[in-house]
Amino acid sequence: MTFAMLRRGIVYVLLSLAAFVSVFPFYWMVVGATNTSAEIIKGKTSLGSALITNATAFFTQVDALRIFWNSGVIAVVATALTLLVSSLAGYGFEMFRSRLREKLFGFLLLLLSIPFAAMMVPLFVMFSQAKLVNTFTAVILPTIASIFIIFYFRQATKAFPRELRDAAKIDGLKEWQIFLYVYLPVMRSTYAAATIIVFMANWNNYLWPLVVLQTAENKTITLILSGLTAAYTPDYGLILFGTVLATLPTLIIFFLLQRRFVEGMLGAVK
Amino acid sequence: MTGWAFIAPALILLGLFMIYPIVWSLWMSFQVGKGMNLSFGGFANILRLTKDAVFIRALGNTFTFFIFQVPIMIVLALLFAVALNDATLKFRGFFRTAIFLPCATSLIAYSTVFKSMFAIDGVVNQTLMELHLITAPISWLGDPFWAKVLIIMAITWRWTGYNMIFYLAAMQNIDRSIYEAARIDGVPAWARFRYLTIPMLKPVILFTTVISTIGTLQLFDEVYNFSAGSGGPSDSTLTLSLYIYNLTFKFMPSFGYSATVSWVIVVLVGILSFLQFLVARDRRTS
Amino acid sequence: MSSLKLTDVHKSYGKLEVIKGVDLEIQSKEFVVFVGPSGCGKSTLLRMIAGLEHITSGDLEIGGVRMNDVDPSKRGIAMVFQSYALYPHMTVRENMGFALRFAGVAKDQIAKQVNEAARILALEPLLDRLPKELSGGQRQRVAIGRAIVRNPQVFLFDEPLSNLDAELRVHMRIEIARLHKELQTTIIYVTHDQVEAMTLADTIVVLRDGIIEQVGKPLDLYDNPANLFVAGFIGSPKMNFMAGVVTASGHGGVTVELTNQGKAHVVLPLSGPAPAVGAAVTVGVRPEHFGLAGSGGPEITVAIDVAEHLGSTSYIYANTKSGEQIIIEREESRHELGHESITVAIDPAKTFLFSAAGERLR
Repeated sequence: MTFAMLRRGIVYVLLSLAAFVSVFPFYWMVVGATNTSAEIIKGKTSLGSALITNATAFFTQVDALRIFWNSGVIAVVATALTLLVSSLAGYGFEMFRSRLREKLFGFLLLLLSIPFAAMMVPLFVMFSQAKLVNTFTAVILPTIASIFIIFYFRQATKAFPRELRDAAKIDGLKEWQIFLYVYLPVMRSTYAAATIIVFMANWNNYLWPLVVLQTAENKTITLILSGLTAAYTPDYGLILFGTVLATLPTLIIFFLLQRRFVEGMLGAVK
Repeated sequence: MTGWAFIAPALILLGLFMIYPIVWSLWMSFQVGKGMNLSFGGFANILRLTKDAVFIRALGNTFTFFIFQVPIMIVLALLFAVALNDATLKFRGFFRTAIFLPCATSLIAYSTVFKSMFAIDGVVNQTLMELHLITAPISWLGDPFWAKVLIIMAITWRWTGYNMIFYLAAMQNIDRSIYEAARIDGVPAWARFRYLTIPMLKPVILFTTVISTIGTLQLFDEVYNFSAGSGGPSDSTLTLSLYIYNLTFKFMPSFGYSATVSWVIVVLVGILSFLQFLVARDRRTS
Repeated sequence: MSSLKLTDVHKSYGKLEVIKGVDLEIQSKEFVVFVGPSGCGKSTLLRMIAGLEHITSGDLEIGGVRMNDVDPSKRGIAMVFQSYALYPHMTVRENMGFALRFAGVAKDQIAKQVNEAARILALEPLLDRLPKELSGGQRQRVAIGRAIVRNPQVFLFDEPLSNLDAELRVHMRIEIARLHKELQTTIIYVTHDQVEAMTLADTIVVLRDGIIEQVGKPLDLYDNPANLFVAGFIGSPKMNFMAGVVTASGHGGVTVELTNQGKAHVVLPLSGPAPAVGAAVTVGVRPEHFGLAGSGGPEITVAIDVAEHLGSTSYIYANTKSGEQIIIEREESRHELGHESITVAIDPAKTFLFSAAGERLR
């Protein structure tokens, strides 16, 4: 009894420690936004009075409205297109099996192991030849067909009851109608989880936008923050204020869809 | 026909923006020259790799990150998942959300936050000194060894919760009565973990290990941000991806050679994934 | 017209042939049950009729029209699935009206048809619920309701009761029988449960390995099984089979010696051609046809393994001397309690005889 209680106690201590380590940087980020840069690098952990100063500095140095609009447009459009294209493909691979398509799917999974770095240079040359460098189109297009999300949807589709599709066929639905009116609403949780994953990936995407977006007015918040951090003496008060703003959208989505996310993940690993 | 219609949009996009660039890059990796003036060089680039001290440095760094970071993270994620899978545990939802929360940050945002926390007089050094764990502040960003440690800690902070969610999801699919049967049979807790949980989670563990391997070998955002793009101090955090970026966009562009370096990552990922599959299979047969 | 005709129907998946030539005619308003062990092709055959599986070769006609290449929704059929296949995101009302919505039926007409079906199945109080808020039996009724709304010529049921508990299964069985009476439509019903087949069917089709073993009325199959397989499949508990050898053969009958049963010889009159002396045969006796010792006919003594006394009926599980397990059914008889063995008589008039290949000889 005492041994079990001791063990339980250790588990609580370790989990609390892990939770503290996980959450502290968020606290730090918020507190830092109210402190001066000098206070931050001296490790001040209490709320300060520099919030207005940091905000003013941020909004004078950064065209915030424009930059957040850029990030938002890219993330929303890319997420919508990725969900559509990749879920169609995942559904297609799972529901309509053929030997050729199985081989193709295996081949795509192999491609998953090829790093983006290997494609980066040819992609850049392609988009510069098409005169699309420094456009959102160039940022979005290569991200739409995601093998990982196709794989994710295919896994989730395995849990979609095949008899529902049979029933819908007998009810007179065409294949695209089955997808639209039966599959899509039934797989809500899967889409919710995929939305989180894809939105975050796009909102936070760094390397490819860094390569392809060149003028300041087209950059995303991620690029701007990175640029500010790279300064010789970074103004951490200003930067952490910007970081709070940049993290808010993903945090909001995360908390709104968290329950759905776990449900969706359950489907993915079945 | 219908099957092809559903996957056609994805296939067209993948063909254009993935397969074509990959093939192109493979071809490019045999080209030598600067800028767009390329000519066929055979194995010249591969020869250059063996003599390129910076490349060997980057390869070593990338490998170091992989060797330490992936196992630490996978083990932590598994332990947290096991602890949180216990239905009698209080505040499960809180712990789960807290540990998963780092995933909601961008790579750039969290590396910026970490950079400010690990400043020489910063909050981390102060805390460690107050706890008398160190006597002098650690130069996290200036010392080659501690810079690597910082990168490893940062990535682990960002991704442990992500992997944990996969394990938790998989554990919830395991029939509880299996554990109840084992308890009645007198199997101790550690053995239930070792002989029931681990084998049943093997596919998910393999999946997350491969995904993490790919992620770590492609490491870019964090090291770029911590070192302001330099891979410093003195190339101690230079990764292969960062080197490729520098070869392409920073120095006089050397497209052919940077393509060769990127194929080194492809080969490494291939070999490591294959080894991980082998390990997973061996245990199953024995 | 809702008759249905299958002519030399085949189904192959690559090189694997699962339906090996089925000919069958189903009359209008007939209740037909496909029965057979799992993997016999009964569900595949049903799905081919529904249009969910392509017919590799042969013809399917419904109401005199060839339907091989007609879309499932235009065959005049409705189907009730084993898992019910209710759309989880729609209410009962929306589930039942879904097909009509895509057939372009006007909204008020859909409402009328849904209400009518709901009335027949007493589903009115459930119309605005989601499937997850219903019990298993209620989901089953909604699935049937969804089929009724479409007003089909032919109802297809694919193992509809196998997900229900025993009590509900009996209840739904009666409900389906009542529905058939009320709706007067053709029903094709797939099950592996021969009790369902016996109680529901006008006609039973026994399938095995992709071919029809026998078609007939339930009691005809019981009384006159065409072969060893049907004899063993229809009837619960199963018919008992004992190995034997023909020791004498002549006009009008054979004498069979049961293997390892002492001197038990069964003399059986035969109308057809008799097997040669020395041929291996199987003797079949239904559990209720064993007589008491001394009631006439050859007798065998068997070792009692387990006896189940249900009150009015007792089932005695016993082993013959050659190790065959047999079941003896006794009415109002409890005197075997505590006995180690029992001697029973075989009545030649009620005994079946099968050749080594499983053909019925008597």
